Formats: sequence, C-alpha cells, structure tokens
Amino acid sequence: MSSLIYRPEYANYSFGEDHPFSPLRVRMALELLEALGHRVDAIAPEAARREDLLSVHDEYYVDHVEALSAGRSVTNAQSYGLDTPDTPAFPGMDEAARWHVGGTLLGARQILEGTEKRVLQLGGGLHHARRNFASGFCVYNDLAIAIRSLTRRGLWVAYLDIDVHHGDGVQQILYEDRRVMTISLHESGKYLFPGTGEVHELGSGVGRGLKLNVPLEPHTEGESYLEVLEEVVPAALRHFGPAVLVVQAGADAHYDDQLADLMLGTRDYERIFSRILGWAETFTAGRVLFTLGGGYSLRATPRVWALLYLVVNGLPVPEDLPPEWVRRWSHVLGPQPPLEFHDPSPLRVDIPNRAEIRHRNLQVAHRLLEGARPYWL
Amino acid sequence: MVGVSPATTLQDAYRTMREKGIRHLAVLDGERLAGVVTDRDLRLATSALAPVPFAADSSVSAIMCKEPLTANAEDAVEDAARVMRERKIGCLPVVDDGRVIGIITGIDLLDALIRMTGVDKPSGRLEVRLPDRPGELARLTAYMSERELNIHSILTHPEGSERVRTVLRVGSIETRLLARDLREAGFEVVWPPDKPCPR
Repeated sequence: MSSLIYRPEYANYSFGEDHPFSPLRVRMALELLEALGHRVDAIAPEAARREDLLSVHDEYYVDHVEALSAGRSVTNAQSYGLDTPDTPAFPGMDEAARWHVGGTLLGARQILEGTEKRVLQLGGGLHHARRNFASGFCVYNDLAIAIRSLTRRGLWVAYLDIDVHHGDGVQQILYEDRRVMTISLHESGKYLFPGTGEVHELGSGVGRGLKLNVPLEPHTEGESYLEVLEEVVPAALRHFGPAVLVVQAGADAHYDDQLADLMLGTRDYERIFSRILGWAETFTAGRVLFTLGGGYSLRATPRVWALLYLVVNGLPVPEDLPPEWVRRWSHVLGPQPPLEFHDPSPLRVDIPNRAEIRHRNLQVAHRLLEGARPYWL
Repeated sequence: MVGVSPATTLQDAYRTMREKGIRHLAVLDGERLAGVVTDRDLRLATSALAPVPFAADSSVSAIMCKEPLTANAEDAVEDAARVMRERKIGCLPVVDDGRVIGIITGIDLLDALIRMTGVDKPSGRLEVRLPDRPGELARLTAYMSERELNIHSILTHPEGSERVRTVLRVGSIETRLLARDLREAGFEVVWPPDKPCPR
C-alpha cells in the first residue's frame, strides 16, 4: 500500500558538522521510529543518471558540480551558487546529490507503474536548486526531475510545497509547463529567503494560473496556516485535476526552527499531513509522493518526519518519546529535551498581532485565488 | 512615446490614448517639442463643468501645456522624480539636442522603484539600524565580506537625525543566524527579530 524509500548513502549529502542541513535529522527520525517498535523497511534507490539530471539542469552546470565533487578546481564556482557559505562544495557532492534524486525518481516510477500509491521518500526535497545554479543547500532539483519524469509519460502533476521557504527552483523550472501545478505556502519573501513567491507569480505562457503562491506573515500559527491551506488547495486541485500529488514536506515552519519565523507545532503537522492524504484520495486516486526538505531544529524535525511516516501508514501517534531515544540524542536535544512525542498544545506563546496575522493571511489567499481564477476558466 | 501634431483634434487625441492605453502625448512640430497633452487636459477642457467647454474638433494646440518641463537622457532617475513631485506633474518628455527621444511617466518611476527593491536573485532580508557616522556601513559590509556573503542590494534611509536604517538583501538562507551573530557583534538588527519563545 505504501512504500518507503531510503538508503544510508543519503547521509553523504552533508555540508559539514555545523551546517544546518544535517543528515542527523533523518537518522534521528528513523531511530525514533525503530525505538517506537516500527520495523522500517526501506527500498534503496539507484543513483540518478547524468541524463536524468539533464532533463532539468544545464550540462555546463552539471559539469561544474562534477568537477568540484571530484576535487578539481573550478573558476567562478560561486556564479553557479557553489562553494558559497550556504552550499559549500565537498568531495563526492555530485554522487551524494544523485542518491537523493534517484530516490525521488524511484518514488515517481513506483507511482507511474502503479506498484505503489503512497510513497515516502526519506530524502530529497531540494526545491531551491535551479536549472543552472545551486541555492539554499540544494544542488540538484530532485523534485523537478521526478515531476518531469511523470509529465513525460503523460501524467499531470500537482506539486505542494509546505517548506517554510518558497519552492522557487521547482516553480522556476516548470513556470511555463501546463502539465504541472505548483502550490507553495511559505513565509513571505519580503522577510525570508529566497525573496520570491508573491501572489502575482502565476506562471507564464500556457502555464499561467498554474503556479500558486501563498506568502504568509511571520509568526503565523497552525490555525491560520490550516485555514489558508484549506482555502487554496482543494479549489486548485479541483480545477487542475492532477493524476499525482508530489509533496515537499519540509519541517522548518515549526516554531523551534531557527531559520524562519513561522509557529507551527507537531499537532498542526499531523492535521496538515492528514488533510494532504485526504486530498490525494479525493483528487489523485490516492497517488501521492512525499519528500523531505528543510527543517533545521534537531528537537523538532525528527519528530515531524517520524509523524509523517506514522500518518502516511495510518499508525497511531504515541504519547511519549521512548526514553532510550531521548537519552541517546540528549547531546543534541538540549538541557530540557522533549519527553512527549507531540509539542505542548495549545502553544503558550505571546503573539501580540495574532488576529491581524490571521486576517492578512486569509486576505492573501483570497487575492491569490482572485488572480488565478480568470485563467482557470 | 507617442507623438501627435499640434493640429490633431481632441477627438483623435482621445482615441489615440484609449487605443494605446496611455495618458500622455508629446505634441510635435516636426522634431521640435511643441507641448504635452494629458488625459487630464482633455477631460478638463471638454468637461461640461468648464465655463466654455472645448469642442471635440478643437486642436490639441489650444489646450496643451506649451512649455513643458523636460528631462535629459543623462539625468538621474531621482532628479526626474523630484521635478515631477515638486511641480506635481505626471510626465517629462526626454529631449536630446532639441529632439524628443522619449517620455518618462510616474509609472516608469514605479518600475524603477520595483526594480531597486525587488528580488532577482535568491536572497534573504536583513535590516540594520546604524549610527549616522562615517564607517558604520563599511563596518557592516566588512563583516559580510569576512563571512564571504554576497550582498545583492542595499537601500538606506535616514531615521531621525542620528541614525540610518539599512535594508540589505543577502545571498544566504541563514539570515537569522547571521542576525544573531551581528547582534553579538554589537549591531542593532531590526530584521529578522528574535522568534517568540513558547513558555
């Protein structure tokens, strides 16, 4: 019914010990599931081939990644977004990124061939990577590559991005594609990287009206987030009629995440994941591929992604975290580690302009639909 | 830019504006600038409320602004903006060697503003309040330089008499961590703020 895609080599995609995009996040999630008594059977993907990459990326860009990856010196690497503070080059970078692309591609193939309907790829989600440059920790755009592999076989794809950052790479690469609808909810680009994702970015050419963006106010909480999600996603999917739903499930909209300013808790994530599965049942006959993405709090992200696994597989969410797991990871969970699986709810936090935030987010969702609907007729 | 001759009727000028979706016409006598006529000129001249409304077949030379202010192609955008704001006018014909080569309108200035404040490369916003004295901006940019961070754009404006608000777009996803370090180094970071902390 559902499959899990993962291989230990994903951990090679690592920019160094102090870098936020840490392979520990997935390892902690997997160990949490094991400590909860779940036998996590993962299918190991092949690495993506060079021609897979070239379905989306420019050849000279791939050449540069390969050269840096092999330790050859490259002039003007930074003009390709490589060897920057965000995305430093490291030996084996090309191959490490291709494992992740291969995993997302495998998920797409399982859905295409009908062997699986629900797929969870415990990696990938590198939504910032562009046709010809790396950006925001992302080298190759596994999502765009996998989506292209589906549209080339005639399937229309809806892409939903709940990472706290705008899914700019996926949007940009597929901006004129009428077979792909992209929907990104994110903290407004006025405040947060990468700066794009305004409601007026609606796609171009035959893709016009199919690229949807919901820029949210800083300090947005779960209630408001779910409200706009509900406002936009079903309406958009009903119009578009996709065959497959691809979801980038970044966990960095969590309140403990230090790279952004949204205030979601795990109970909000549980509702979001359940709603997404419901929409997949309604609109894509249950066909849905989840990838990971951002999520930089080691206290929160492993729980959010373990939760994703539980919800996707219809498993109960436990009350408490296994003490041995908390003990094993105490060095990264901090002096007051979480002891329960879920965050406290309701969250006790002072957000003085809560009502205004909610109002503005809803307004943005309405403005988006007003802008897109004329193209849906 | 769209030009018409001084003998053009108000009716034709109106139609030209409607068809092209514009509000300003340069009135040209050969290559020489004879005046400017705007949609507002047309509406006021023909209004039923005017003491003696002009007829539709009057010529634009009767109602145009005869000695319009002009700009030079080499003028700074902000100078054009200042002239238009101070004189409360909507356009400046651009004249070079006595020849009209274009027209700049309020919409063009908005385009320039959008481009200046816009995002053309993935970047995050950083807003810092600096003391208004020599070397402060250099101190900030030197800090970025040491971290090999690329600055894509900078906007600054005075805030009161002693401080300057500086908004930067920085080529990094990690602006919050940067903000934390900047605060530790003594900078007053306005954005991103500290995140609300649950109790």
